Amino acid sequence: MINSPTHAGSAEVTPIDPTARGPLLLLVGMALGWLVISGTFALIASIQLHTPQFLADCSWFTFGRTDAMRESTFIYGWAGNAGLAISLWILGRLGGNPLRATNWVTVGTLFWNLGLTAGLVGIATGDMTSFSMLQLPAYVQPLMLFAYATIAISGVLAWGGRRSDGTFAAQWYAVAALFVFPWLFSAAQAVLLWMPVRGTVQAIAAGWFMQGLWTLWLAPLALAGSYYIVPKTSGRVLPSYDFASLGFWTLLFVGAWTGGRHLVGGPVPAWVPTVGVVACSLMIFHYSIVFLNLRVVTASVGNAAQFIRLGLIAYLLVGLLDMITSFRFVAEQMQFTFLASALQQLGLYGAISMIFFGCIYFMMPRIAGVPWASVAMMSAHRMAVIIGILLLVGGLAAAGMMQAGDLLNPSANLGDILARIRLPLLVVTFAHIILIGANLLLFVNFLKTAASRADGDVRVRNLFRQPSAIEASAT
Amino acid sequence: MKNGPLFFLGLLAAVAISWAGIVLGSHAQLGELPPYFDQAEGQIYPRRPGGIASRGQLVYADLGCAACHTQQVRRPDFGSDKARGWGDRQSVARDYIHQWRPQLGASRVGPDLANVGARLAKTETGAAGLHQLLYQGSSTHPSYSFLYEEEALVGERSAAALNLSGANAPVPGYQIVPTERAQTLVAYLLSLKTTYDFPESVPVAAPTKTEETKK
Repeated sequence: MINSPTHAGSAEVTPIDPTARGPLLLLVGMALGWLVISGTFALIASIQLHTPQFLADCSWFTFGRTDAMRESTFIYGWAGNAGLAISLWILGRLGGNPLRATNWVTVGTLFWNLGLTAGLVGIATGDMTSFSMLQLPAYVQPLMLFAYATIAISGVLAWGGRRSDGTFAAQWYAVAALFVFPWLFSAAQAVLLWMPVRGTVQAIAAGWFMQGLWTLWLAPLALAGSYYIVPKTSGRVLPSYDFASLGFWTLLFVGAWTGGRHLVGGPVPAWVPTVGVVACSLMIFHYSIVFLNLRVVTASVGNAAQFIRLGLIAYLLVGLLDMITSFRFVAEQMQFTFLASALQQLGLYGAISMIFFGCIYFMMPRIAGVPWASVAMMSAHRMAVIIGILLLVGGLAAAGMMQAGDLLNPSANLGDILARIRLPLLVVTFAHIILIGANLLLFVNFLKTAASRADGDVRVRNLFRQPSAIEASAT
Repeated sequence: MKNGPLFFLGLLAAVAISWAGIVLGSHAQLGELPPYFDQAEGQIYPRRPGGIASRGQLVYADLGCAACHTQQVRRPDFGSDKARGWGDRQSVARDYIHQWRPQLGASRVGPDLANVGARLAKTETGAAGLHQLLYQGSSTHPSYSFLYEEEALVGERSAAALNLSGANAPVPGYQIVPTERAQTLVAYLLSLKTTYDFPESVPVAAPTKTEETKK
């Protein structure tokens, strides 16, 4: 039996939240810190694209290494920490019991972030694996796996010990993400690092991992948050909820097959990209169901809901664009251009990060027991992050469009192409500056909120009697 | 989804089936791909790269060159790779069987390098030109001067020393020589050739297309 989502307003205040306060705040704090660091790497890398000599004589910051550090801190630092915090919190609440094994979460978080830090030093000194999204050096990867398992134990216990027989869509997505990541991660390590497969099979396996990380880990984490928060902020039961399980299983079973589309025209068997193209089209079922279920987000109010609304729009857009760009005649043009980066940023920043921001805005006052310290910073962050993402994706897309046409024209010299796309690349740099500023605002706001808790402000406890005041909605 | 174990098995199946299909499937097809023995020449292709070139691939990977350079030439009727002179034929899986970690790449900020060895062999400057580009950079390529050393000129000039002029020329009495890493990197790039036509790599698509249009 599938339970219908509870009515908004209920479960706003639970005795469950305070028990996990420490570990969850630690995870969120780490996530926001890494987000700012990742933005700094992104800024350096984006400057190097239009001004190649920037930091070029420093071997720690060649473009390839800076970009690998940007990607690793974004995926494992920001999305990893934030996603784990969100999924643990949701599993705890929907499980109906206080989170257990929270000490393990703390220990795991420390090791996860230590591993990532060591990995960054490794990348900077030349130990990157050169597989996209799996760039952390081989020697820190087992540690990351171990640390992840330590954090995830708590979520698994919450799922296993849940009080109600029925389950919610938010729970499926959260549990799927928790379980699937270690399998993906270890399977990729096995065939790429420990017993590497031969020749271009490596590229195929790396493509499978990269896609899996998106469809089987990041997307489920974001959807878990959306399925949990949208009914609460909109005050409506999710429409067509019976289809939710179909959407879930389509994502899981079809999504992982779409990775091969990036290898179209490459030195791999032709069936690999073909399967990817077919799977990409099949994914339309998943995106349609997400749209059907979560369209009530338009009726939502509050700061968190605004983030999630934009994130979901970006998520659906990514699905549509993934399908269109996987077709061969489109791929022929856009392959190897900045259009691919534009689409990736639309997914990672526009969809995943926006939804995570929304979840953090919703979750933070509840676990910390205090409202957000500054409503002004909250609105400023929202405005800046929206502008930043639009400029980032827009700049990359514009650069990619120009590049796509020019690359097909054999008389266009590569140096000239780079000179022509200088303007959009400058816009990208500007976007990264805005995004760093925006994310710093969120980080500072988070620290102030966490610190105000420590003051033991009594006024705040009264807020629990007025759930709507908790979020300090900036609408 | 009341049944926990079944749900768990479903998750496991989702990952395992895609992994088996994509990774094991392509491994079964390509994992044992042998080199091609050319009876006329009495040699196997692709040629196994020498030890220095193999070490150069490590340098290529750890500097992250693949962030801007691909190493895969697409077939003549798919993109402009052939017209740009990046390779006369498409890259095929057999080209990569001796490579420790094929660097296919996903971005073409810079040119494709799958056949760069053959291209450089045709230029006048060859390896020396490549060293010069790596040392002093250009308007589009960063300068990786950390791969080079300035050393005092004692006795005769080193054969490997770079011929630099203008602003980049070393102080008199000094010379710029490549480090071991630069030497291996250049050796690796020179070893990248896709000039041998394997039976499966002979471009067939382009002629058939013109025949069809004639009809």
